[in-house]
Amino acid sequence: MSWSTQQTEKRFIGLPTGRIDEKSWEALLGNLMRAIADAAAAKLDFALDLSGVDYMSSRGLRVLTLARREAEAHNIAFTLAKPNERMREILAISRYDKIFKIEDSLD
Amino acid sequence: MRVRFWGTRGSLPVSPSASVIATKIAKALIAANGRSFVDECAAREFALTELDFAVGQGYGGASSCVEIADSENAFFICDMGSGLREFGLDAAVRCAADHPRRYNFFLSHLHWDHIMGFPFFLGNFDSDAVITIYSGHADAERALRRQQEEISFPVPFDYLRARFGFVTMEPGSAYEIDGMTVTCILQHHSHDSYGFRFSNGQSAVVYSTDSEHPAGDMASEHLFESFFGGADLVICDTMYSLVESVTMKEDWGHSSNLVAVDLCRAAGAKRLALFHHEPTYSDEDIARMHGETIRYEEINREASPPLEVICAYDGLELAL
Repeated sequence: MSWSTQQTEKRFIGLPTGRIDEKSWEALLGNLMRAIADAAAAKLDFALDLSGVDYMSSRGLRVLTLARREAEAHNIAFTLAKPNERMREILAISRYDKIFKIEDSLD
Repeated sequence: MRVRFWGTRGSLPVSPSASVIATKIAKALIAANGRSFVDECAAREFALTELDFAVGQGYGGASSCVEIADSENAFFICDMGSGLREFGLDAAVRCAADHPRRYNFFLSHLHWDHIMGFPFFLGNFDSDAVITIYSGHADAERALRRQQEEISFPVPFDYLRARFGFVTMEPGSAYEIDGMTVTCILQHHSHDSYGFRFSNGQSAVVYSTDSEHPAGDMASEHLFESFFGGADLVICDTMYSLVESVTMKEDWGHSSNLVAVDLCRAAGAKRLALFHHEPTYSDEDIARMHGETIRYEEINREASPPLEVICAYDGLELAL
């Protein structure tokens, strides 16, 4: 997995790419926690751009839960965006699509 | 080695209501579309082979009880849920045909749904029976005796005729029991629970129920990957969807179908049996979860060998 960030006027955006599984979930968790702290410091909401993620295991999904809690603790919004077809199916099977706001674009 | 599921439901035994059965019959009649059957046998064959499992059959409602059948010298039984009554009736028939009256029980934990079958177990009343109860809990005997007290049941423990023994197992130690090597692992559950691994040198079965894998402790999941390592069958607590297990039912001590798939795949296990079904789930709900679990395994498989995902039901028998 690789990680980068972007900042717009309204949001701080995290961009993971690749596989998020038992080998990479800790890296995602660390990056997300730092990025959410940065977003909160800048008084911005946070979005996770999933367009580059081709695989996410249950550990990756649970990282999203931990990250959302962290965002809530900072009183900022946490949004998922641009999942590809496979990620969309994983979010549906896990029922994560019921608890996360998922956007089709970051415009 | 063979595995027989006598009870697969979690938390509370359930039974289909008259309305549920009427709906199954209505769906079957629609599926039959006017066909006639020469006899009951032919109609049964139609139900077994042409109807969806949730219509023509069903997952059953007895609480946890699984037989690991290997040795001709002894019975091996995981948990004493309400499915134990049915096992006891079947075991009595086998004992009448000269199967030794030697029972080795393995208790995941002592919560009600996992011991409620004990007062109704026929073997308790057989003076030739030797019943050894293995558990990670030092208070297993106390739990079973307390369940037999007059406030809960009319027959006190000391009235039972079998010879009883209790063994407290230590995680990390291997126990040689009637030709089987058995180990256990501590699991996350209220008052603790334990998973068991059974190996006869050729096949290995893991029984891991009432085991939560919390989001806040994912780093320790490698212990379970190791415990499940290369197993021919892993019987896993899959009571909830992943989202249930991390939201309203977090810290209820149960796991999800997706976590089970990931642990089994990382462990190189060959088969996963979904187990400890949520009592509020209908047969259609369980079938849907089974289908979604198979799909999740396919989506995330990549180059890994396939993991066969089966859904346990009362009466299922597997040959390993």
